[in-house]
Amino acid sequence: MLELRDIVKIYNPGTITEMCLFQGFNLTVADGDFLSIVGSNGSGKTSLLNIICGSIPVEGGQVLINGEDITKMKEYRRYGRIGRVYQNPAMGSCPNLTLLENLSLADNKGRPFGLKKGINKARREYYREQLAALGLGLEDKLEVKMGALSGGQRQAAALIMATLTPIDFLILDEHTAALDPKTAETIMELTDKVIREKKLTAIMVTHNLRYAVEYGNRLIMMDKGQIVLEKAGAEKEATTVADVLHIFNEISIECGN
Amino acid sequence: MMKKIIAVAVILAIFATFAAGCGSKKVPVIGISQYGEHASLDNCREGFLQGLKEAGLEEGKDFVIDYQNAGFDDSIATQIAQTFSANNVALMVGIATPAAIACFAAAEDKDIPVVFSAITDPVMAKLDKGNITGTSDKLPVDAQLDLIRKIQPEAKTIGIIYTTSEPNSVSAIAEYEEKAPLYGFTIESIGVTQQSEVTLAVDTLISRGVDCLSNLTDNNVVGVLPSVLEKTNAAGIPVYGSEVEQVKIGCVASAGIDYIALGIQTGKMAAKILKGEATAENMPYETITEFNYYINSAALAEMGLEVPAEIAEKAIESGQ
Amino acid sequence: MGSFFDLVVGTVTQGLIYALLSLGVYITYRILDFPDLTVDGSFPLGAAVAAVLLTRGVSPYLTLIVAMAVGALAGLVTGVIHVKLGVRDLLAGIITMTGLFSINLQIAGSNLAVDRATDTIFTAAPTMALFGAMPLIYRKLVVSLILAVVFKLILDAYFSTQSGLLLRAVGDNSTLVTTLAKDKGSVKILGLVISNTLVALSGAVVCHEQRAFNSTMGTGQVVFGLATVIIGTTLFKNLGFVKGTTAVIIGSILYKACIQVAISLGLPANLLKLITAVLFLIILVLGNRRKSGVNANA
Repeated sequence: MLELRDIVKIYNPGTITEMCLFQGFNLTVADGDFLSIVGSNGSGKTSLLNIICGSIPVEGGQVLINGEDITKMKEYRRYGRIGRVYQNPAMGSCPNLTLLENLSLADNKGRPFGLKKGINKARREYYREQLAALGLGLEDKLEVKMGALSGGQRQAAALIMATLTPIDFLILDEHTAALDPKTAETIMELTDKVIREKKLTAIMVTHNLRYAVEYGNRLIMMDKGQIVLEKAGAEKEATTVADVLHIFNEISIECGN
Repeated sequence: MMKKIIAVAVILAIFATFAAGCGSKKVPVIGISQYGEHASLDNCREGFLQGLKEAGLEEGKDFVIDYQNAGFDDSIATQIAQTFSANNVALMVGIATPAAIACFAAAEDKDIPVVFSAITDPVMAKLDKGNITGTSDKLPVDAQLDLIRKIQPEAKTIGIIYTTSEPNSVSAIAEYEEKAPLYGFTIESIGVTQQSEVTLAVDTLISRGVDCLSNLTDNNVVGVLPSVLEKTNAAGIPVYGSEVEQVKIGCVASAGIDYIALGIQTGKMAAKILKGEATAENMPYETITEFNYYINSAALAEMGLEVPAEIAEKAIESGQ
Repeated sequence: MGSFFDLVVGTVTQGLIYALLSLGVYITYRILDFPDLTVDGSFPLGAAVAAVLLTRGVSPYLTLIVAMAVGALAGLVTGVIHVKLGVRDLLAGIITMTGLFSINLQIAGSNLAVDRATDTIFTAAPTMALFGAMPLIYRKLVVSLILAVVFKLILDAYFSTQSGLLLRAVGDNSTLVTTLAKDKGSVKILGLVISNTLVALSGAVVCHEQRAFNSTMGTGQVVFGLATVIIGTTLFKNLGFVKGTTAVIIGSILYKACIQVAISLGLPANLLKLITAVLFLIILVLGNRRKSGVNANA
């Protein structure tokens, strides 16, 4: 269970470009939620993710996971129980290492990286199974360097890597934005499948209103650091893209976009 | 296709150059490894060749020379010395400490005799024992101090700039500081780590009000001597060189070693070894004690200094 | 043709001794993507420590171990300056290198020579027991070969461990390392430590071989290291079965061979460095041409 309590975030404090993004922001994500966050650029969606993961500090408020205050916890430590898939497929894996080596790395997350063999031969079959389930033919490409794979393939691999070990949250950071429409569709379906099968709690930031509406059980829209629309459960099921788009345009007109 | 031809050509060339190194050599080869190009070291080498001649040996008949220059790079000096050993030279000559050390290390296997020159402290360099001999260019510190005292009877402090990592300089400074009080001087010394710091050091010495500067055979200082002189001339402070080339450039005077004479002495020692008259093992190294007075009358006049007659009559006019 | 063989032996020996330095630079430059100038300071540091200990009668083999430990420290310093103090990679290395210059002078003075009577790893009893029958230059080759191969194998084994894999990852995509819940700073520091351990070892072995330390012997070693790593990896770029560590050792031997060719060509001595540069160019061009050949057929 993730809780953001009274978050205060100020960019460039004390300078001429000082901008207060969050002034006491609150959000709770329950276990098993699949939350989509939409909003225009600058609305605070990515900042929100970065605050959760610890990539950027906060000027006030708390971040709590399962009741534990992790506000002061270093970024890399937080990732022990958080998986993240980035917008740029290149960020999710090492280009000069093979798919097998990348998976082996991800498989060891949360444990010490000591002098045991880097690649666990016994797990090879397991990786093949996981990859085969994606239906992209990756199970035959274990010895290929990641850099030689396409963006969609790398993103699929990143998804598997992020969920290979037990995690509390899966953070999806516009992870289909850099893919062509067909690949994006494939990845999104895969994402949903993985989340369901592994029963993960997920937070997805996306520009794609259709994805936000079709997938997950919660939706919020942000604007200038505040939540302007929130749908959950049955209400969300009934929401259509048109509804969301309508609100989106309203707030855009308001601030003269 | 083209690149295959190039590759084969290169490999053949490599083979050829290696092969050129061997083959029957009835005439003994003398391998000269000079640490780098430097007026004193060059003079040394020329003197060496002259010394061989004066000992009655003829180039081409009694010996041939393989001269290599390490460009002030220690690892190149190492490979040069190894080449000499592989080519079974009759004698290795190492000019300056790093070259001599490399030669001595490479000569160990086949016990090739080594002759060194222009090394200030052969004992510290552990080159005083074994199948090795040569000549040391210890600075005539006493003579220099005496010279300064005679030209500047009132002077009290001598400024000296030296490079902390040059072994010749470090031991020379120690000797200066030991002997200076005997002549009524104190030494103001500044250690630098590289050539770019020398001119700053000059400024510092000038501000400390030294009465004159004296040079060691320090590569960094000598390398920028013109800029040093520019500053000291403007401040009216005379600079005493450590050998003739510096006096030519503008130092007022020097009690200096004649590197050609040093080389000749070395050449004669080498000739003895080649002729079989002695072995390097049995020849202790020789320190040159003779020095010459070099003066630059124009520079002296500019400083308003005069050389007392007893020196003037022995001195060699070196100004341009 | 005794002398040709001797020339090859000598050149290969030098190449193998300096290959340890190349392996160190390979780790930082190639794997960590960190241009580490500490090398110019940690190389002579190893030599200084070895020289001092040898002249004090310490076992030659022990001097190598101490040199490695001190080299590790040097790498640690650079790593801490970079990671904890936020100084960028190039500068962090320069700071350590500059500080080491003075430290080396303090340890061994400006020069320290080792008597022929003192045993080195090439002349000590255990070595003589195994290889005493050989002339010195062949013994030097064998001992250097053993050192280079042993450390190459250790490195290869290390890179196949989890820690080694993580090290390779941090130079390739450090964000991923963070996402794997590991502190990328610590991983970088580890890489710097391992690298400079090898570099200092190389310096120590050079000191054993030449029986001397001098405080300027580090100048330009990082350039040497980079050149050999680039030559080695470029030449073997398309031969996947040749591991990076092997390629780098060959690069070092090739470099020394280029200098040897220049010396043996008997051309004017001052042209030595120019000739070496030309030979590098030829090697690199040959290596690149092969690469473009593969692309054309793709």
